[in-house]
This record gives sequence, structure tokens and C-alpha cells, in this order.
Amino acid sequence: MYDWPHWIIVAVFSPLLGAVLTPVVSLRDRRVAPWWALGAMTVSSFAASMLVIRVAKEGPFSYLPGGWERPYGIELRFDEFSASVAIICLIGWLALLYSWRYTECMHDMPKARIPYYYTLVLLNLGGMMGLVVTGDLFNVFVFLEILSLSGYALVAISGEHIAEMAAFKYLLMGAISSLLVLFAIAILFSITGSLNMADVTVILSKTTYTTPAALALAMLAIGFMVKAALFPVHIWLPDAHSIAPSPVSAILSGLVVKVGIIGMVRVYSIYNGANLLDLHVFNQVLVWLGALSIVMGAFFAIFQDDIKLMLAYSTISNIGYIVMGLGLSTNFSVIGGTVHVFNHALIKATLFFAAGALIYRTGFRTLTDLRGVGRVMPLTCIAISIGAISIVGIPPTAGFLCKWYIALGAFEAGQPFFGFALIFGALFIFIYYIRMVNAFYFQEPTRPEILELSEAPASMLFPTLLLAALCLVMGILGRIPLTFIEPAAARLLTPLGG
Amino acid sequence: MFAALWHNIDYAAAVVLFCIGLYVVIAKDNLIKKFLGLNIMETAVFSFIVALGVVEGGDAPIMGPDARPPFTNPVPQALVLTGIVVAVSTTALALALIIRIYRQCGTIEADELREME
Amino acid sequence: MEVYDIRPMLAPAISFACSGMVFLFGSNKYWRRFWMLSASVLKLIVVLSMLPGSLRGVVYVFHLIDFTPGIGLGFRADALGMFFAAVSSTLWVITTVYAIGYMRGEEHLVRFFGFFALCVSTTVGIAFAADLLTFFLFYEMLTICTYPLVIHDETPEALKAGRKYLIYTLIGGAFILVGSVIVFNATGTLDLGSPGILSADIGTQTLALIFGLLITGFSVKCAIMPLHGWLPTAMVAPTPVSALLHAVAVVKAGAFGLLRTVYNVFGVELLSELGYTKPLMWFAGFTIIAASLIAIFQDNLKRRLAFSTISQLSYIAIGAAMLTPFSATAAIVHIANQAFAKITMFFVAGSIQRTTGKTNVHELAGIGYRMPWTMGAFTVAALSFIGVPLFAGFITKWYISLGALESGDYWVLAVMIASSMLNAAYFLPIVYLAFFKVPPGTKMRVTEASPTLLVPTLICAAYVIVLGTTAEVPGMPFSLAQAAVHFVFGM
Repeated sequence: MYDWPHWIIVAVFSPLLGAVLTPVVSLRDRRVAPWWALGAMTVSSFAASMLVIRVAKEGPFSYLPGGWERPYGIELRFDEFSASVAIICLIGWLALLYSWRYTECMHDMPKARIPYYYTLVLLNLGGMMGLVVTGDLFNVFVFLEILSLSGYALVAISGEHIAEMAAFKYLLMGAISSLLVLFAIAILFSITGSLNMADVTVILSKTTYTTPAALALAMLAIGFMVKAALFPVHIWLPDAHSIAPSPVSAILSGLVVKVGIIGMVRVYSIYNGANLLDLHVFNQVLVWLGALSIVMGAFFAIFQDDIKLMLAYSTISNIGYIVMGLGLSTNFSVIGGTVHVFNHALIKATLFFAAGALIYRTGFRTLTDLRGVGRVMPLTCIAISIGAISIVGIPPTAGFLCKWYIALGAFEAGQPFFGFALIFGALFIFIYYIRMVNAFYFQEPTRPEILELSEAPASMLFPTLLLAALCLVMGILGRIPLTFIEPAAARLLTPLGG
Repeated sequence: MFAALWHNIDYAAAVVLFCIGLYVVIAKDNLIKKFLGLNIMETAVFSFIVALGVVEGGDAPIMGPDARPPFTNPVPQALVLTGIVVAVSTTALALALIIRIYRQCGTIEADELREME
Repeated sequence: MEVYDIRPMLAPAISFACSGMVFLFGSNKYWRRFWMLSASVLKLIVVLSMLPGSLRGVVYVFHLIDFTPGIGLGFRADALGMFFAAVSSTLWVITTVYAIGYMRGEEHLVRFFGFFALCVSTTVGIAFAADLLTFFLFYEMLTICTYPLVIHDETPEALKAGRKYLIYTLIGGAFILVGSVIVFNATGTLDLGSPGILSADIGTQTLALIFGLLITGFSVKCAIMPLHGWLPTAMVAPTPVSALLHAVAVVKAGAFGLLRTVYNVFGVELLSELGYTKPLMWFAGFTIIAASLIAIFQDNLKRRLAFSTISQLSYIAIGAAMLTPFSATAAIVHIANQAFAKITMFFVAGSIQRTTGKTNVHELAGIGYRMPWTMGAFTVAALSFIGVPLFAGFITKWYISLGALESGDYWVLAVMIASSMLNAAYFLPIVYLAFFKVPPGTKMRVTEASPTLLVPTLICAAYVIVLGTTAEVPGMPFSLAQAAVHFVFGM
């Protein structure tokens, strides 16, 4: 059953189709919208799980829509990295469930807009699904734009003027980065005459056009770095992620920034496979930017009182880990980095869901105002604590193994400095999470009215606790994703024919 | 060097246009102007892609009784069509955002908006 | 002889489960006590059930899970681990009884006892950790579980102490983690079951780096100067917690980590070739003297005890660093000797505070007449620290001195003698004040502490004498320590 070839189309297009139809089905009753969206996502999740089973059993496979052979047709390629559709579906599904109650309490957003909210979320998720499974460079651009445009709109959806300004900032930087990516794709097309990634790799390995290829690499890297919010180009992220509605923050922070990483992995596999350029300098730049992101993200986070802003900065830090893992380009570090894509999505979604539940119940979003909330919302606060522990990387939680692998990679690559930077960066991160836990559990409330409240509603609590539990489970069963991704990482690091 | 540049004048023009657009986005305070800069960048990339497909003396790649090679490469044109669709939707979204910012804040100058925060 | 047995994992797991029960059903006083006591007693039973086998030389091994090849959770009850586990779980039963009496009427008791019981399980986890990673895991868990205990009062002062504690110990933990990563990178294993996994062909530079990282990391919890800053500050915690921090769990975890590093990661042979332990000896020797000197001038009883702890812990470090069988025996045995004596003293300090409200040394005049049993216990512990024969502390000093003669580090003898004198200088005045300096006009009426406080104190004091007199009796902890030494030195 899992080898029915068309699952890949079902997985990508059911959210996209669902998105388009959401306003239509909820014309009469807008309460239908969340359930419709959940239905579309359920179909997609089922298809995605079939795909993941297939790639685990058979290895990477291709799908040619309409039967057009490459390079004429568009190729959809599903490899181990594409298995991140699983996490996209999981978090997307939970975020939709979470949104059901959350959107009702967003006072700034008119109720009539709710169906469009679901349209945008589904578009965003569908765009991501498409991006991770495509094997065609121009398709990368198209899906990138689908998910970015819906992302900009989602940031602005609450209707506050701060949100709109954050969205505009996000849009400007995002659009520039998309254009850089498109420009680079055009350059690659001009060198190779093909848009199929596998073809491009093969042709690139036989050419001598090093300068344009290097230019394209730089543009692609910068473009995807902006999407991934790596340190010097991260400035759009804190505002956008903290102002967006919490379920959207979870999607943006957990998944959308990872798209930049997946893009980077694809670029990397093209260039490493083609073996046209000496990538040492490029790798060193990645490692340094990664290290800077870790430190600067953690540094800014320490000074935030707004809980969501703090989480947003911590995302920058974690992206730094992943990029560092890629840049070190040893077997261990690449495995660690790519698995951290998955684990960080789990952890950050847990944290944003929990933070959202706190904001939903109390109406406050600063640590000072939220003091003592652990007494009335114990489950939510336990989830936040588990998330905090895993993001620091304390075993046996999900964050640990990835950091262990990346650190191991740093020592393996003979760059112990980055191993130190990584582990002490994690410590730095711990400091600000301790502030949070302190405020929730051990400090006297500054707002006594908090003590009258009760635990978050079940539809919000369930996703939060499920993800928190997964943070623990993925720590204990961490070898599963690590061994799963191993062949892909090995392929990524070996040039064609080498 | 100069000859090479002259030979690739269409590409060079696209790059120059791209940089002009980038300058406008960064240097101008008015949100509309920033956005126009972005549109210039888009145009630059599109013209670059279209220029890729040009074949000297090539015909439009339309099959018919009169069609005879060489044809211009049709793929870039298809790409640009898609690109324009994307660009239009970006424009629509950005303009909508700008209108809403103007309604709420009464200004679309970035420096004044920063002061309001 | 290795035997595959679930008990090394069962010991931490049982108390882990019981602490969960404390959190769930802790709001009822009786259930809370029931689960508290079952956590500690069940664990003690499991640990003691392994003791006969351990004395015969059996090593119990249990492998729980592999995260990835070579990295996982494993448990192994070897002689050294059994020693630490037996000491800490025995003490824990006693401390639990004491804590129940001491904390009566306090707030947030569910949280307090829940984390208290969690510490039980993590400490045994440290003792039975089969590899460096499992060790690190429990080590960090211990840090986190003790944090809510340190800041139990939630006063600004307590929060500050807690923050300091966390910063010190977490940075130490990071050092250990980096060290472990390098060890794994160099050898491909983190196993602690052999006398040394590193070998000389790794290169002295890497070896020095590993040694520096691991030892610095563990020295934080072991409170070797200049990394001791958190310990005196953490005194704001309730007394059972101080007892726990200072005698059983936290500092001993650090000391135990030092022993594991020296004996199981590097191995005696390699270290005596490399000679890295000399600086550790100097630091430890300095700490012994300096901390004692500071202790003399502390008026707050608990602070004085804290500096005494810092001084005593370095006995373990110096014993380990000397790399002779005698000094190794001393280092291991001192884990027990110091624990029982120091916990007695903390119990006494807590009892005095609860019964009379006095916390400073100068207020203690004549207290020996009000609380003769309590102060009697204190005297026993003090004599042990001074190193009077028949008391536990004598054994340590004797063996360290033998070790110093064996290795030729004669200056250590001087340190031992000076330390004994300094110990006398800061403990005997308290005894003197308590029994011989009665302020005029006080009534000679005995108002002892309540039995839940007094009985644990007396049991610990009795242990101090037992440990000091029956060292050579087979089946006592001492023989376990010797078994560990035989394994480590390959004798």
C-alpha cells in the first residue's frame, strides 16, 4: 500500500487544494473552517506517513508528474531529507487543532477572517511540503514563494499595526532573498541548461564555469540564510515570530525557518556532488556564522522580558547549531545538524504552544507579569520546562543527541573551538530558560489575579503535552532519526562518482 | 575584459538594475518607494531570465506549418510567466499592508513609524 | 565477574517512581511520608541486596538503551559504585526521617519532598553509571533537582544563592560534557568499567585537555578552591538540604566524579606516567589549609561547617591524586567517613536551630546542658574530623599519610598535621562552649530536640564510631573500598 506512486501528489496537493476551498466550504458557517483544514491535513499526513515508510524501506524514489521524463518534466524526489514532511504534518496538524480555540480569543482579528486564517496556514504547510519533496530548482522557487507569501500574511493577520509593520519588514527581506534565490537558479540554468537538481549536479561536475557557479552559490546561500534567519540577516525574525498568533509562531519558528535549512542542504548536495568548487571557504563561513548565531541569539534572548520574543531569539541560536553542523561537513555533524531540524521543530513548537496557552489564559506576555503562573497552570508549565530542558540539550531529551553529534563533528573536523562554543552556547541558553522557570514556579505573582485562572482548554493542552512527551521520547529513541538520516548524510558528503 | 562585458551587455544590465533596486529598498524611507525598489529587482531578474533564452535569429517556438529552427528557448519565458504571477501577488500583499499601516498610523515613512513604536 | 542483573537500574528507578508518587499524592501528609520513606527504604534494600555479591567480587551490569552505537544508558554496580551507593542510600533513609521532623509546618512540602526523593534516585544513578554519559546525565539531573531545594524559602537571598549554585555547577557540567565528547572522539567509548580507557598514544596535548576539562568540571561540585564559591552561599537552604548538599549527594557526586576520572577514565598507570595529578594535589592541599583557616573565623555555625566541608572534600581529591593504593583507599573510605561525621554535625546544627533558634557559635554557651545527647553527637563528629583514633576520620588520615610516605610526597604529611590542628581549632571551641562555659543564671534543664531529629543524629554519630573501630572486620564498607582499590591497581 505504501508503494502506491501517487501518495506524493496527495501529500502536497491536499493542503493546497484544501486551502483554496476553505473559504468556500465555510461560507455558510465559519465554524466549519478548522475541521475542514484538519481534514485536509489528516489526508496529507496519511500520505506523508506512507511516503516515509516507503523511503525507509526502499530508499529515495522519484515521481514524474504526467509521466514526463526528466529533464523535460518536473521531478518530485523523495529522499531521507524529504522525510521532514512527517514533522511538517505533525506540527501543522497540531497547530491547526490548537488554532481552533486560539483564534476565537484573538480580539484584534475580526471573526469573519477566521476561514482565511486557515487558508493561509494550509497554503503555508502545503508550500513547505512541496518544497521538501521537489527535485526541480524552479519548483523550489515557486513553493518558496507560496509559503513565504502566506507567512507574511499570517504575521499580519492579527491586524495590529505592529504586526503589520513586522510583516512588512519580513516581506521586504523575504522577497529580496527569494529574488536572490531566483537569480541564482537562473545562473545555474544558464550554465547547465537544466533545472532538474540531479541533472544540474551532473552537468555542473563537467563544466569549468567556476566563477558564475560560485556567484550562484553565494546568492543561494545568502537567500536561504535570510529565510533561515542566520545571524547578520536575522533581523526580521524576532518581531515577526513574536507578534504572530502563537500557533503561527510555532509553525514559523519550528518549520518555516527550517525551509531555509532544507534549501541549504539541497544547494549543498548540488555543489558537493558536482565537486566543481573548493567548498572549504564556504564551509568556514557557515561554521562561523553558525557560531555567531548561537552566541548572539542567546545573548539577545537573555535581555528579553517578553516570553515569545525570548523564544524567537532562541530560534536564531538553534538555527546556528544546524548551520554549524552543516558547515563542519563531517559525517557526525551533518547527521546531528539535519536531525536537529526535526528535533528543534518539536521543541520550539512545544514552547510556543505552551507560551500561547499562557497568553491565552492570562492575557500577559512578559515574564514579570506571568510570575507564579505555574501554580494555576501546572501542566502547561511542565511542558514549557520539558521544552526548556530539551532545548538546552540535557540528556535524555531530544535536544541532546544532535548537539552531541555536532560537537563530536567539531572535534572530528579538528576544530575543537567550535565544540566549546557549542556546549557553552547551550549553557548560555540555559540561563535564560532558568529565568523563565524561576518566574513561573518560584516567584511571587506580581499580578495576583493570575491565581484565579485555570488550566488551558484541552484542545490547546493536548498538542502541547503531546509534543512535550515527544521531546522526551525522541531523546530516548534518538537513534531512530539518526540512523535513518545516515545514508542521506553520507550521500550529501560524497561527490559524484567519488 | 571590456569586450566580454559588451558581449554580455544584457546580463550586465540586469545586474545593474538589480543593484539599483536593492539600493532603493535599503536607502529609501517611504514604504511605497521601498516596494518599488523591490519591483525593480524583480524586473531585473526577469529580464535576465528572458535574456538567457535568446537564440540569435531564433523564431518564436510555436509549432506550425511555417515553423523552422532555430527557435528561442521557451523554458525561460515559461519561468518568467510564473515569476510574474508571484511578483504580482507579492505586490498585492505589500500594497495591502501599506494601506493598512497608513490607515492606522497616518504615515508610511519608515523613520516616523519607528518613532511611533 | 560480571553478572547481568536489573538491580543497578532498579535502585534509581524505584526511587524515581516513588518520587513521582510524592508529586502526585503528596498533598496528603501521610501518603507523602509513606512514599518518601518507601523511596529511600526500597532503594536501600535493593542496594544492600547487591552488597554480598559485591563483596565476593561480582559486578552487576545492566544495559538499558542505546541512543546510538556507543552512546546509551547503562548501569554497573562495581565495588567503587557500590560503596558510594551504599553510603548515600543509608544516609538517605536517616536524612528522610530527619527531614520529615525538621520540615514540619513549612510550606511547599510536596515540591520539597518530591525533589528530595528525586535526588535520592539521581545520586544512586551517579554511583551506578556504567559510562561517562550516563554519569553526566544523572550528574546534571542532580544539579537541577537540588535547585528547587536550595531556593526553597523563595527569599531573594535564597534565589540569589540558587542562581550562584546553578551557574557554578552548570558551567562545571559543560566542562565535563566537552571532556566527554573529546574522550569519545579519541577512543570511541565512554565506558567506566575498566581501569582506564585512555592510552598514551592519543597524544599528550589531547590528554592534558581532557584531564583539565574533566577535573575542572568535577572540582566545582567537589568545591576545590578556587571553585568553591557556591557552597557557603548555598547555606541558606533548609538544614536537611544542607546536609544533603554537603555530606551525601552533591559534593560527593563531584568527588566521586574525580575518582572515576582518575581511576576509570585515565587509569592509575597512565596518570603516573603523565604526572598530571601533581597540580591537583597542590590545589587540594591548599584548599585543605585555606578553607580551615577561613572556617575558624566564621561565627555562623552552618557557614563554619560549610568551610569545614570544603576542607574535608579535598582529602578525597588529594588521596585520589597521589595514585598509591593506600591513598586511594583513604580517598574512597573518606566518602563514607566524611559523610557520616558531617551529616551528624549538620543534624546537630539543625536541631539547635529548630529547638532554640540559635544559629551562631557564640550563642551556644551552655547548650550542652540543654541538649546533652545532641552535643554529644557533635563531639563525636568533631573528634572524628580531628583524627582521633577510634573515630572514622582517623582511618582516612592514617591511610593518606601512608600513601604520602609511599609516593614520597612528604609535604602532604605536614598538611595532614596542620589540618588536624586547624580542625581542632574550629571545632573544639564549640564543644568547649557547649559543655564548659555556662553563662551565669542559666537553668540546667534538659530540653532535647524532638525524637525525629535526635534519633537520626545519634545513629549517624554511632556510625562514625563503628566505621572507626571495625574497619578490618570483613563485610564492612572498608573491605568494599579495598576491593575497589584492588581492581583499580590491578592487584
